[in-house]
Amino acid sequence: MIEIKNVSKSYIKGKKSVDNLNLDIKDGEIFGFLGPNGAGKTTTIRMITGILDIDEGDILIDGMSIKTSPLEAKKKFGFVPDSPDMFLKLKGIEYLNFMADIYEISKEKRLKKIEEITKKFEIYDELNNQIQSYSHGMRQKIVICGALLSEPKNWILDEPMTGLDPKSSFDLKEMMKSHAKSGKTVFFSTHVLEVAEKLCDRVGIINNGKLVFVGTFEQLKERFKEEGTLEELFLEITEK
Amino acid sequence: MNKIINLTKFFLKTAFSNMNTKLGMPSRKNKIISKILYLILFLYLTTIIVLFSSGMVESLKIINQQEIFIGLILLLVTTFCVIQTIFSSINIFYFTKDNEYILPLPLKPYEIILARTNVLILTEYIITALIGFIPLVVYGIITNMGISYYLLMFILLILVPVLPILLVSIIVMIIMSFAKITKNKNKFQLIATILVLAIVIGISLSTTKLQDNVTNEQLANMLVEANGMVDLLKGYFPTLDYAIVSLTSDSSYVALFEVLKILILTIIGTFAYIFIAQKIYFKGLVGNLFSSSKRKTVKIDEKKYKDSRLYKSYIAKEFKCLIRNPIFFLQCLLPAVLIPILMIALVVLEMKNYNTSLINEQLKSFNTNTYIIACVILSVIQFFSMFIYISITAISRDGKNAVFMKYIPVSLYKQYIYKCIPNILMGTITTIISIVTANIILHLDIIMIVLLFILSTIINIVNSIILIIIDLKRPKLEWDSEYAVVKQNFNLIFPMLTSMATILIIALSGIFMANINVYVGIIILTLIFIVILYFVNMYLYKNQNNLANKIM
Repeated sequence: MIEIKNVSKSYIKGKKSVDNLNLDIKDGEIFGFLGPNGAGKTTTIRMITGILDIDEGDILIDGMSIKTSPLEAKKKFGFVPDSPDMFLKLKGIEYLNFMADIYEISKEKRLKKIEEITKKFEIYDELNNQIQSYSHGMRQKIVICGALLSEPKNWILDEPMTGLDPKSSFDLKEMMKSHAKSGKTVFFSTHVLEVAEKLCDRVGIINNGKLVFVGTFEQLKERFKEEGTLEELFLEITEK
Repeated sequence: MNKIINLTKFFLKTAFSNMNTKLGMPSRKNKIISKILYLILFLYLTTIIVLFSSGMVESLKIINQQEIFIGLILLLVTTFCVIQTIFSSINIFYFTKDNEYILPLPLKPYEIILARTNVLILTEYIITALIGFIPLVVYGIITNMGISYYLLMFILLILVPVLPILLVSIIVMIIMSFAKITKNKNKFQLIATILVLAIVIGISLSTTKLQDNVTNEQLANMLVEANGMVDLLKGYFPTLDYAIVSLTSDSSYVALFEVLKILILTIIGTFAYIFIAQKIYFKGLVGNLFSSSKRKTVKIDEKKYKDSRLYKSYIAKEFKCLIRNPIFFLQCLLPAVLIPILMIALVVLEMKNYNTSLINEQLKSFNTNTYIIACVILSVIQFFSMFIYISITAISRDGKNAVFMKYIPVSLYKQYIYKCIPNILMGTITTIISIVTANIILHLDIIMIVLLFILSTIINIVNSIILIIIDLKRPKLEWDSEYAVVKQNFNLIFPMLTSMATILIIALSGIFMANINVYVGIIILTLIFIVILYFVNMYLYKNQNNLANKIM
């Protein structure tokens, strides 16, 4: 469970990039975080994951404050950043072992888990190669594998579908569904409205740092009483 | 011509637009503070060079050999340009990302080659200004030189580095033309640089051999004759000889004639360079751009799944990222081993040319077990340590991925320390090489060796922590090519500054405790550095979160 309570953040004095954000992402839920470029999505994700300090308010992950107990809170989630170009000089297996060491995963458990996830994403045979030689999609997959290795209760993913081929995208979506089904949380940002509509239990739309809508897609359509496409609806909300 | 100038400007702008020279937030107040700080830094460096140069010229003047100073400075400029070119030419010609955008543009091959070469030469002029211009001006002032000296000096400092740079670039291009046939681009880049280095050292050693034939009698004559010793520095590089003659000649006709010779040689050399480079540069460039490393499908055996303690795993990751990246390996790690070995080898080789039994006898009669000797050894270790760029780039090397540090459940303080370890280990290697050499020459006693090692290691830890703090405060995280981190990064001046500050502390202790027992002296200095270490470490620990504010 992720609780965002009265969170604000400013980069420039007097201009809030995120303004008094309140959001609860419940257990067993897939939550999509939408918004145009520069709306405050990345800033929010960076605050949830501890990359950015919170100016006002607090964020709790399974009851642990990222502000006051950052290490405990960080153990409760797995994060996939928007850019997968990381540790390019490491081999796939070295990266996963490194992640497993960070999350103190035993040899037996990592052996099983690495094989399971990497086979699912069809990168198992590539683990002995340096990440640098991977395509963008494969890099995305190895980063996702690294984040899921510790079986975190909360998944936080920043634009996770970017660069994935249809099969991997489908597999990831299935994994997200099964993760939520087992009572855990998935929070992800996306630009692809169709993905959000098909996958998410609820969505949050942020614009100019303020949350302009939280709810299901049905509620969204009902609230704005629009018959247009999803795209038109999104534009209607964010351009108001 | 216009195209070459514009292209040069473009390459320079992309190379230096993000030099990381700003301190903190780009507010007006900070801009002024940073300008003042850089002015202080510039004055500090200039003062050191001025003091060093004037001291040397004055000393040489006493024995009537001051002209050798001109030769030494010109040799230093040439040597620095050659070494810098070896390391930077591969990156400037082959590994800058803009190659992919430049190649399809309607530009003539020689225009691209000349623009790239201009960047290389202009970059070298920065170092030439520092180690060539300032000392030679000091020389001119002390020896009351006229305006013609300064004019000649200026022209020569512009001309002298050109030919050596072109020669090294051609060697680089020849080796890189084999890039197409290699599968592993990274390994090839590494091997190519080491190969160029070996070739250049080989050439320079074979030319210095010519000097070995100087007999003791000739040496004595050189010493007696006014400014006779300057002849010792001739024969390293043709243009260098002409430049030395030009600046030391009493006749202005001779001086101008020598400059003319250099000018003609440089023009001929440039044309030859363009001709050869056009034939080989693009072959290597295209080969390098489009040769991809093949992926092997190898089954992973169970041994690969190993669980390690976090500190081991983290430090191993740091080392792997350093060693497997040719630019980081060559610029951050290799100098830690290579520079002390090269310098020591040079000293040993030079010693061979003289009467070593005489030196040994002199050393035997001289008490090497003194605090001053300890200070000298410690200063030499510090001098070598300024070439280790691991801590000062520890955060910047990660680039945009440095945020990784902030979302994993490991305390930032621990991660900073893990990132310092490679720097400390490489510093230890430098320390060991230096102490072993000092022991061979000076026959130190075991207690002194142990005490020196402990003190050097503590200094090494202090400096590693200070340097990572600097990198945290001024990280260069936005970069396209690794080259930007190690070359176009103003932070790299700080290892030199911390080493100089350490040498200053050591020197001051040497002045105030000159007659103290050597063991007591080293122990007192060790205690001083332990106190510094305590405060530096406390600062890192207490500010671990604030220090990471720039990483986002």
